Amino acid sequence: MLIKILGTGCAKCNRLEQLTREVVAELGIAAEFAHIREMDRIMEYPIMTTPALVVDEVVKVAGRIPRKDEIAGWLRGG
Amino acid sequence: MDILIAALQGGLASLASYLAAHVLLCLVPAFFIAGALSALVPQQAITRFLGPEAPKWVSYPAAAGAGSLLAVCSCTIQPLFAGIYKKGAGLGPAITFLFFAPAGNILALSYTGVALGADFAIARIVLALSFGIGIGMIMAMLFRRDEAGRQGDARAFVEDAKVPGRTLLFVATLVALLIAGTLKVDWLAAPLWQGTLAWPGAVDAQAALDRWVPADAATGAEGLSLQGVGLIALLGLIGAAAWRGLGQVDTAVSRLTWVTLALTVLTLAAAALGLRVTGDGLAVTLTGRTLAVPLLCAALLPQTRRFDAWDMQQWLWETWRFVKMIFPLLVVGVFLVGVIRIFIRPEWIQAVAGANTLLANLAGVVFGVFMYFPTLVEVPIARMFLSLGMHPGPLIAYLMADPELSLQSILITAAIIGKLKAWTYVGLVALFSTAAGLTYGAWVDGTSVWLLAAAVAGFVGLLVGTLQIIERRKAC
Repeated sequence: MLIKILGTGCAKCNRLEQLTREVVAELGIAAEFAHIREMDRIMEYPIMTTPALVVDEVVKVAGRIPRKDEIAGWLRGG
Repeated sequence: MDILIAALQGGLASLASYLAAHVLLCLVPAFFIAGALSALVPQQAITRFLGPEAPKWVSYPAAAGAGSLLAVCSCTIQPLFAGIYKKGAGLGPAITFLFFAPAGNILALSYTGVALGADFAIARIVLALSFGIGIGMIMAMLFRRDEAGRQGDARAFVEDAKVPGRTLLFVATLVALLIAGTLKVDWLAAPLWQGTLAWPGAVDAQAALDRWVPADAATGAEGLSLQGVGLIALLGLIGAAAWRGLGQVDTAVSRLTWVTLALTVLTLAAAALGLRVTGDGLAVTLTGRTLAVPLLCAALLPQTRRFDAWDMQQWLWETWRFVKMIFPLLVVGVFLVGVIRIFIRPEWIQAVAGANTLLANLAGVVFGVFMYFPTLVEVPIARMFLSLGMHPGPLIAYLMADPELSLQSILITAAIIGKLKAWTYVGLVALFSTAAGLTYGAWVDGTSVWLLAAAVAGFVGLLVGTLQIIERRKAC
């Protein structure tokens, strides 16, 4: 599973990465992380606002920090 | 040596009276509002009006709205600006957004209103709004041909999100709190109850404070009252409790979180109390404001139950993030303004910008462009200029130019939209800021509104006409 965090390095973006890593550890999933910081590469995704969470190239959330159970749902394939 | 001590004292005095007088009833609620907007309002709710299919009369006001609602700090402005530009809304609304966001957000406006007066805040929002849209449209017209080449990506805008009613009510209550604490109207200031707290030492204590922090109407230095000392102490306590109480609120709501919130309410109520030193002690006055502030705080509590606990934790966490990001800059900025004030002679300011002339307004703009101050620090600086005798016209010119233009923002803009467009934007902002200063200055000096409206219409018409002619020449 490839998890991408899109964000320019703001506090919210780092917080999203931290939360997602916690969920991955709790669920015991094997996942690869990438934190995309370059504006041009972020803009390749159909989002307007950061931070955003992309799981296997599908944008799950943008512009806010989701709850941990929401993240868990997406990672389980929901 | 003397001058050094005087400078240091000036800085500390300015800081003390700033913390006591301006921060509490305006900036504290404003930080909570900014946190709520950032955590509770889905950004898509506003950006969906910016899509490439949206008509002009929707997308330009929406861009301005996005500026004032979503962007309280530059880290939000940059991705949103790039997003609006690259995903199809086009150059015009993107520029409107970029122009309006720093001047039109809730923190900047409420702070301007309290420090400089409501008329400056209103002038700031009206001028920023109309000029933001104007400059956006001119930019879109100038670079029309480049625009046609760019393909809009509508996908980013379709996501449907609405602002829930409970969020609107919650933010409205917070805004009411801000207004009740700061607005200077009679029924809020009217005394309801008066009493005296016996404390014979009060006169001596106030006299000692006056010695340390002398009030001087000529330079605009405000003294420090006993009430102010108490409020600064309470602010310190809030800071200490909030460090863990709000800093770690996103993992759990702890007892310190509640202590922080209770202290905040107590501080706001204390700030809304009228306290005066008399011969035998402290005269306490309860006003409409003293009642309204705690009542509105109490009205917030039942509303929080309608949200997820997570949303409320996010709200407090965002609020604290804004405080940590902006407050230290403000403290340093205000201290330095106090130091600088010692060295500037009022005559210099009056000579350069004491009257509403073209040169004076240009000086205000140039100062705004070349001096880079962090977010909101432009307000205490403007306040210093005003008290040193700057005319309101050049002051508005400075206030318009400073947050919009700085070397840093020019570089970011150039990276996103290219050098030619960025410098055109800079030129337009300088031109418009000067015009804004001249107009506001003339209005303050008593020129009739109709004459000014005609002048502004003429100015814009001339500008648009010139641009049209240039455009047609190029086409041939």
